[in-house]
Amino acid sequence: MSFLERQLEDPVRFKRLKIAFYVALSVIAVVEFALPRLMHAEKAEFWFEDLPAWESVYGLISCVVIIVGSKLIGKLWLMKREDYYDR
Amino acid sequence: MTVEWIHPGFVLIVGAWVLPLLKGTLKKAAMVLLPTIALGLCLRMSPGTYGTVQFLGQQLVFGRVDRLSLVFSYVFALLTLIGMIYALHVDDDAQHVVALTYGGAALGGTFAGDLLTLFAFSEIMMVAAVLLVWLRRTPESVAAGFRYLLVHVFGGLCLLGGSMLIWSQTGSIAFGNMSAFAGSTGFWLILVAFLINAAVPPLGAWLPDAYPEASVTGAVFMTAFTTKSAVYCLIRGFPGTEVLIWLGAFMALYGVVYAVLENDARRLLAYHIISQVGYMVCGVGIGTEMALNGATAHAFAHILYKAVLFMGAGAVLEVTGRRKLDEMGGLYKTMPVTLTLYMIGAFAISAVPLFSGFVSKSMVVSSAAETNRMGIYLALTLASAGTFLHTGLKLPYYMFFGKDSGLRAHEPPTNMLVGMGLAAAACIVIGVFPSLLYEHLPYLDVAREYMPYTVRHVTDTLGLLGFTALGFFLLLKQLDPHPSVSLDTDWFYRKGVAVLLPPMNRALAMIEGAVGQVYEVVMQRGVLGTGRQLRDVDAQVVDAAAVGVGTMTETLSGDLRTTVTGNAQYSGLIMAVGVLVAIAFAVFGR
Repeated sequence: MSFLERQLEDPVRFKRLKIAFYVALSVIAVVEFALPRLMHAEKAEFWFEDLPAWESVYGLISCVVIIVGSKLIGKLWLMKREDYYDR
Repeated sequence: MTVEWIHPGFVLIVGAWVLPLLKGTLKKAAMVLLPTIALGLCLRMSPGTYGTVQFLGQQLVFGRVDRLSLVFSYVFALLTLIGMIYALHVDDDAQHVVALTYGGAALGGTFAGDLLTLFAFSEIMMVAAVLLVWLRRTPESVAAGFRYLLVHVFGGLCLLGGSMLIWSQTGSIAFGNMSAFAGSTGFWLILVAFLINAAVPPLGAWLPDAYPEASVTGAVFMTAFTTKSAVYCLIRGFPGTEVLIWLGAFMALYGVVYAVLENDARRLLAYHIISQVGYMVCGVGIGTEMALNGATAHAFAHILYKAVLFMGAGAVLEVTGRRKLDEMGGLYKTMPVTLTLYMIGAFAISAVPLFSGFVSKSMVVSSAAETNRMGIYLALTLASAGTFLHTGLKLPYYMFFGKDSGLRAHEPPTNMLVGMGLAAAACIVIGVFPSLLYEHLPYLDVAREYMPYTVRHVTDTLGLLGFTALGFFLLLKQLDPHPSVSLDTDWFYRKGVAVLLPPMNRALAMIEGAVGQVYEVVMQRGVLGTGRQLRDVDAQVVDAAAVGVGTMTETLSGDLRTTVTGNAQYSGLIMAVGVLVAIAFAVFGR
């Protein structure tokens, strides 16, 4: 069994992987908030970029908006049966 | 054409015809050698104007070599080489000849200094692309190829018409910055031609329609040449055209929305070409030196990482025969190398730090911020999240992980992995050493000043991507792919025509009926009258003559028949009587 397979198929290891993912996310959010304030980072172009961990928040919002929005448009209008053009 | 300058495009287009004459190793050597020579020629070229020909009182320029055309020529030639390596195992000369011609025409369009030469090479590109679709040899690909042809013939005519208008207005067909003609019909026609080739909605539905139907190896070439040639033409001719900013930002989001709905792996990637070209079109519209550098750099990086992604999805298609995400899953166990290389391409398109997209895309996004366009900046950032969501998470999840489909796959042929590996390596090299690419961008000073790896940029990007991943895993159930097709603007010529045809048919039938009536009244009487007279002449004169001749012949032959019965004894008797009469004359006649 390969390394990847071991990580994904063993429930204990998979749980560990999940925890690592969440820890990494928290670290990223904290670093994004703190690092530009600690170091002399370049000035932001827009006011909202100085909100705490702005890009992380915006990333999550973007992801949800894209999935929900697209699915909505798809269900209501764009998605058709696979043989739509053959009929 | 001067001897000291050899057109790399001609090397490919002419050299391609050697392949059918060669066999085995020699053929494979030629497949690698030809694009290598073309790449070498591009790399050795220095700026200047070469290969000018007089035609109809105009100067055709085959070799306009400057910083902009050079950087595009490098990546076109490099991709031709990588694509040919990926296709080495394919035993189909037609595909190889067409692919090399396609690459050669892309180089020809890049170095073209006038509109007529550009038109000629873009027509060659169109034909080559259609053939790559057709050469998959399935009914679906034949139909998709015809639709591709339909759209691009229209685009080609727009370019030709626009060029003629500019020619008649100015007396020149030189192709440069078109802003002097802004607002004229010629300006718009040429812009529309380029927008069609760049797959800008609503003119871009041909792209996700045709690319997934092309052959596994042919699709790799298609992802690179047509849209990026159009981006090159836009940078050359239409920098700072305001409408492009909005079209580009719309395009970036448009591709993302469709990618959510898509179930076909290569069609999902095709929609992300539209999304990525959106960044480039937007950069052209913003038009500052940094934005144009960004559009160029992003085109360069995009060609390489998109090739990796299409090669990865193509490898899965080649090995398993499956193209739909809901039929795949669990392939990471049997195709780990393909997965690794695919993920490098996915990280590059998602602009993960240390990969090529990070150093190219950010230039366009930063120039939107610098010119204080908040809406555009937010839209492009949103699309970035969408790019990672689909190409970096959704597609690999359902293709390589997800529920195990039980497919017994294996790695693709070595040459396919080598092709993918080369392109993937380029993605990392550009990401780690961005100056290698920046040194070749059209505006060198601005490019040298630009710093992609700043604290804020790196942490921002990690935050955006990390939390996009969180959103993905939270909403995973929503993203399960389903077999479906998504309506796009190709509806108008695929289904809309079917809706329009019956009324058009009825209208045509009515016109036909009216014409029939007129015919009956006006024509038929005259024709019938003349006919009747002719019949009388026929009956009275011609027939009588014929009858007369016939009767005469009959009488004569009746007389003859009574005389000449054909019996030998009568003939003998007559002869004997004749002989006796002759003797009688001879004896008594004195």
